[in-house]
Amino acid sequence: MRRFTDTLEDGKRQVLVADDELINREILANILADEYDVILAEDGEIAYELIKQNRNTLSLILLDLIMPKIKGLDLLKMLSGDNELKGIPVIVLTSDQDSEVTSLQSGAFDFIPKPYPQPDVIKARISRSIELAEGRQIISATEKDGLTGLYTLEYFYRYCSQYDKFFPAAEMDAICFDVNHFHVLNERFGIEVGSEILKRIATRLTEVFGGQKSFICRKTADTFLVYCPHQDDHSSVADQIANIGDDFQIGIKIRAGVYSCCDKKLDIHSRFDRAKIAADKIRNNYSVFVNYFDEALIDAELFAEQLVDEFPKALESRQFQVYFQPKYDIRGDRPVLSSAEALVRWVHPDLGMISPGAFIPLFEEDGLISKLDEYVWRSVAEHISGWKKRLGISVPVSVNISRAELYDPALVDTLESIARDNGITTSDLVLEITESAYVSDSNQIVDRVKTLRDHGFFIEMDDFGSGYSSLNMISELPIDALKLDMKFIRTAFDKQNDTRMISIVIDIADYLGVPVIAEGVETEEQCLALKKLGCAIIQGYYFSRPVPADDFEKLMIDKKTV
Amino acid sequence: MTIDDLKAFGADTDDGLKRCMGNEAFYLKLIGKALEDKSFADLQDALGRNDLNAAFEAAHSLKGVLGNLALTPIYTPVYEMMELLRNRNDIDYQPYMDRALEKKAELEALI
Repeated sequence: MRRFTDTLEDGKRQVLVADDELINREILANILADEYDVILAEDGEIAYELIKQNRNTLSLILLDLIMPKIKGLDLLKMLSGDNELKGIPVIVLTSDQDSEVTSLQSGAFDFIPKPYPQPDVIKARISRSIELAEGRQIISATEKDGLTGLYTLEYFYRYCSQYDKFFPAAEMDAICFDVNHFHVLNERFGIEVGSEILKRIATRLTEVFGGQKSFICRKTADTFLVYCPHQDDHSSVADQIANIGDDFQIGIKIRAGVYSCCDKKLDIHSRFDRAKIAADKIRNNYSVFVNYFDEALIDAELFAEQLVDEFPKALESRQFQVYFQPKYDIRGDRPVLSSAEALVRWVHPDLGMISPGAFIPLFEEDGLISKLDEYVWRSVAEHISGWKKRLGISVPVSVNISRAELYDPALVDTLESIARDNGITTSDLVLEITESAYVSDSNQIVDRVKTLRDHGFFIEMDDFGSGYSSLNMISELPIDALKLDMKFIRTAFDKQNDTRMISIVIDIADYLGVPVIAEGVETEEQCLALKKLGCAIIQGYYFSRPVPADDFEKLMIDKKTV
Repeated sequence: MTIDDLKAFGADTDDGLKRCMGNEAFYLKLIGKALEDKSFADLQDALGRNDLNAAFEAAHSLKGVLGNLALTPIYTPVYEMMELLRNRNDIDYQPYMDRALEKKAELEALI
């Protein structure tokens, strides 16, 4: 049987000598220095600390029984009670024959009497104990993952650390491979196919990294870790693994995060955390398979964590402010303010204005978005109500409703009670629902939207043109306006003024009898072109950026006095 | 001090040198350190307080060190003392201690 440490040709195993007598330590260190890397402890406490620090690399402990601070037998008990430490063999040093049996009963592997026997005898006992202990580890069931035969995480980390100790100068890469949406694979094709795919990934990784200097492990269901000598480019590996699902006609995306030339001062767990961060960054990017860690990712990760942590406090102390971006009706001779879209801004006491692009995706992932949205709905309703009372002006304001919120059975009640609490009508609130929300599981969503509309809310289909809804379906949808995906505006005016797609959408809207709203309009040229095509309402920097409530109020007053 | 001095003193230098991998300088250096070993003082203190547990531990430690260096003339009285202390025999240990200290002084004079 090939033992792991056989691969470490020029390495020395590490041995701890714990004895309070300097002379005994020195004699043993002198005997062992040629063959072992010897570390020394002069009392039980220091010994325990060193054992914990070197738990992944220590091959053997030579332990004196009578020592200050922690006695040898007590230390033996502490080791055998600790899962991470109990695998390290201990040889007891004793000048007292009575202690020998007790030591062996307490879990010691062997004993060496004092005065010491011949150096050759000492060396033979030590190497035999190490051999036995390593053999015991190799056959232990938890060393290898049952499904793939790769190392389990605990042993993997242990071997990586030992390798580092033997080859401290080697430049190593930590790689994390993750199968995208593996649970979906399992659900669609069954656990057996899922398991077969995992096995094939393991085989492929072993083919690629099977050399003596790499270590491979299956960390969790579909996460694999590889520790290997540095290479500049790992993209060919990702390519070789990507076609693993071909036999099953299953497209599988495996993403790899690489932490290149790891900093060995970081502990082994943190190195693979970094690889994982890099891998997760490309989770939703289907054209990139390998991502390399850089320090900026850690900053981004920490920043994201901070934002999520501070969310409850920010909500409570009203750090979120609603801004209003006006929408203008351009059908007449002069543009007329017709409504607004509510957009949230985070005004952070230390960080200043945080862009919604930075926090909304995070909150969507964490499910915090529904709390934030409800806060926005309420805040918008308060403003509408205030304007009605103070200025006698009523302008509808649109708010965003996410797909997840549409599944909430309480949504209709929540929105109605917000309107009621603030003394406004449901038609004052326009609900923007993104087109892609309708596409999956459309019946349930369509029914929910119908209910909302029956209760008087206006519905705008947001991002129209991005969600691939079928024309057939659109004709049945309960909507009051189509809002063009911003990309249409950009491409239409970027590329030789090709506005054909926009006219198609406007034709669809005409057929449905609803107006078209264009957002992201930045120039007069765009605005005039859209007007000519028959677009009814314009939103964008051309008229106004999103503004605070007070500024929006001024626009409303201006409109009234015109 | 030379290896011959040590031999004349009664040390089993062959045995001691083997443990030191044949390195004479190393062996002699360790003997110098052994003479400063605080277990001598610990043992004397414990006997003075009639603390037989502490005396046993100190004798036990000394026995290991002296045995490893094969300093037989000091080792023998300490070893005898330790065997008596093992059963916590309530006897006068001072004569053993004196013999060990006398041999220790003899060795110190060689340095």
